[in-house]
Amino acid sequence: MTLDITGMGAVAAVGSTPEEIHQRLCQGRLGLAEVTAFDTSGFRQKHAYPITDQPPGSDVPMRASGFLHAAVRQALTDAGIADRAATCPVLVGTTHREQRSVELWWRGRHPVRFPDLNFDAGLRAEFGFTDTHTFANACSASLTMLGMAQDLIEHGLADTVVVAGTDVMTESTFGAFDRIQNVPDQVRPFDGSRRGMMMGEGAVAVVLERPGGDRDRARARLRGVGVNCDAAHATAPDAASVEAAVQQAHQRAGITADEVGLVMLHGTGTVLNDQAEAAVLHSVFGRVARQPMVTGIKSMTGHTLGGSGLLSLIVAAQSMRHGLVPPTAGLDELMPEAEGLDLVYGEARAADVALAQVHSIGMGGLNAIAIVEGVTS
Amino acid sequence: MTVERRSSFEGGGGRRAGMTTAERSSPFEGGGGGRTAWITGVGLAVDGLRGAADLLAEYTRHPDGFDPRTALTGREMRHRDRASRLALRSAGAALRDAGLLSDDGGYHGPARRTAVVVSSNLGNLDTVCSFLDTIDQETSKGLKATGLPHTSSNSIAGWVAIGYGLTGPNLTLCNGPSSGLDALHWARILLVTGRADLVLVTGVEPDNEYTARLLADEGERRWPDSAASVVVEAAEHADSRGARARSVLHGYARAADVGAAMTAAAEGGGPLGLLAAEHSALDALPGAATAPAVTDLSRWAGRQSGALGVLQAAAAVAHFDRGADGAVLAASCRLPGGTAAALLCAAPTS
Repeated sequence: MTLDITGMGAVAAVGSTPEEIHQRLCQGRLGLAEVTAFDTSGFRQKHAYPITDQPPGSDVPMRASGFLHAAVRQALTDAGIADRAATCPVLVGTTHREQRSVELWWRGRHPVRFPDLNFDAGLRAEFGFTDTHTFANACSASLTMLGMAQDLIEHGLADTVVVAGTDVMTESTFGAFDRIQNVPDQVRPFDGSRRGMMMGEGAVAVVLERPGGDRDRARARLRGVGVNCDAAHATAPDAASVEAAVQQAHQRAGITADEVGLVMLHGTGTVLNDQAEAAVLHSVFGRVARQPMVTGIKSMTGHTLGGSGLLSLIVAAQSMRHGLVPPTAGLDELMPEAEGLDLVYGEARAADVALAQVHSIGMGGLNAIAIVEGVTS
Repeated sequence: MTVERRSSFEGGGGRRAGMTTAERSSPFEGGGGGRTAWITGVGLAVDGLRGAADLLAEYTRHPDGFDPRTALTGREMRHRDRASRLALRSAGAALRDAGLLSDDGGYHGPARRTAVVVSSNLGNLDTVCSFLDTIDQETSKGLKATGLPHTSSNSIAGWVAIGYGLTGPNLTLCNGPSSGLDALHWARILLVTGRADLVLVTGVEPDNEYTARLLADEGERRWPDSAASVVVEAAEHADSRGARARSVLHGYARAADVGAAMTAAAEGGGPLGLLAAEHSALDALPGAATAPAVTDLSRWAGRQSGALGVLQAAAAVAHFDRGADGAVLAASCRLPGGTAAALLCAAPTS
């Protein structure tokens, strides 16, 4: 069942509303900055794509919750349901939950309470929600939740669902990637000399509703979400399994590959992710008459982890609405595996797109692929 | 999802009172045409316990019970964190109990139609905290590359999927005190919406210096290593392979108040035989003709434990396995600021 996305909200390093984020991405603006929230002397990497909301040297707990609330508030206001949203289910997809707050506790800098570990208490205090669900589904979390939300509405279990994602940087994950990667200077998806992923921060939310209301508020329409698990490797993606998730998404959306006009990459800029994703694109779109445009926003937002899929979806919705697709930044020389694909890079491209395919590929082999239909302004 | 909509999840021919027309027309209703969720297998990996039947007695470490010091080793456990090892042990036991493992230990159910749902609140606390210590002492060069997956809370479910080749949807609930019951709820949703035919549900919390310190800071008792798994299966799928129901997932509700959640979840479920909740929950349960027996697993498993809800479901199975009467109502603990959940596990009648 095609559902209406009636409200959208987002905050990231490059902007603090969906509109602003899309504009700045189309200008090729990077959210790249030196990390000042924590001491980086133990790391080779000193940069990321943080939200610069706090003075250098200080880091406060509960930022993931704060960004989540900001994004949800925007989405509820955009959908015009702020006064009647409290009974809606809220599905939050995240990689780290409030793990940064836990780190500050372990360092002895701030206390942490059990209710701080998930987003229930905060959403209840801010908005009155009680039907809240925090899912830690790695970097495909928010699109996985979008799929669950669509299921709930399709099967009459809810009429309106708020879907969100949020994450901030944690030192433990920053350190783990510092350990295994060769210090990327920026995220360069699909570039021949890419060196890996860099962390970003951000939160994103959408309001998903059963169509047929008397209001004409749809910002975009959700067609279908494919969800599966590789069950193969703890960190490396499996191209065949990602492709199966894409096929599932097409089937659920009732579309064929040649209808897709734009692909929003997961595009982390790691060697393995981009190879697997390129292989999937060649396989899925190998026979279509006209290749879809392909772009990846992590080149400018960094990897916003749990919310990254939904952030890509919002940018896809804005791109279709405004007829302008942001470029993939940091892409100087296309990797050989991407030959034949229509990467948008250099500058934004004016284009008339009706359907977009949004990728998210998480650690643990978690894939969630969404098909979203544009609504022109 | 909400209390008001609880009845649309009813299984096992539950009463349809109070349903709206829109709900009644749903193709996935319980009773006649809908998908009823059965529990068809149960497994435990709890320090000192021998099996689900031990959940109905006072918690004691049995000498012949599960011993984490010896049971979490082996080649198949390499590079897994403690929570994932516990989860793999209970998951394997549940799949075996459900008749879904071959003699070689491989899964012979439909892998693509089998989902994994894990509930854990502190599963990866050890990795997060120990990584900080290593960074401080040795810089990031000292970190173990194989620890990377465990910086993300979903790693347990990932390892369970890898362990048995389960390629269906893979969800990890980190939803506070109600997380285990919520995991069972989402398992049923995956069946009702047709995303899966079987769901392997695991609740797990490890015991280590990090969890112990956080619990102490909260004024809570240290908990033992605990993992519980149940196989939740669409009734028609279980029927098709000759598996029997050990319990039927009936009502679920989530509310600001545990009494409201319990009342809504128990509606239409018949007389209660067992309340798996804090003793104080009995006061919040109006209208029971005879007070059910109470088993409070939270006293040892922890009020905040993400394993608790699945342990409660396992206790329900043990209750029915021994032929006891009456449904089992499970409820999460009453904690300030938190939302409560309740789940009714009905008897496996035909």
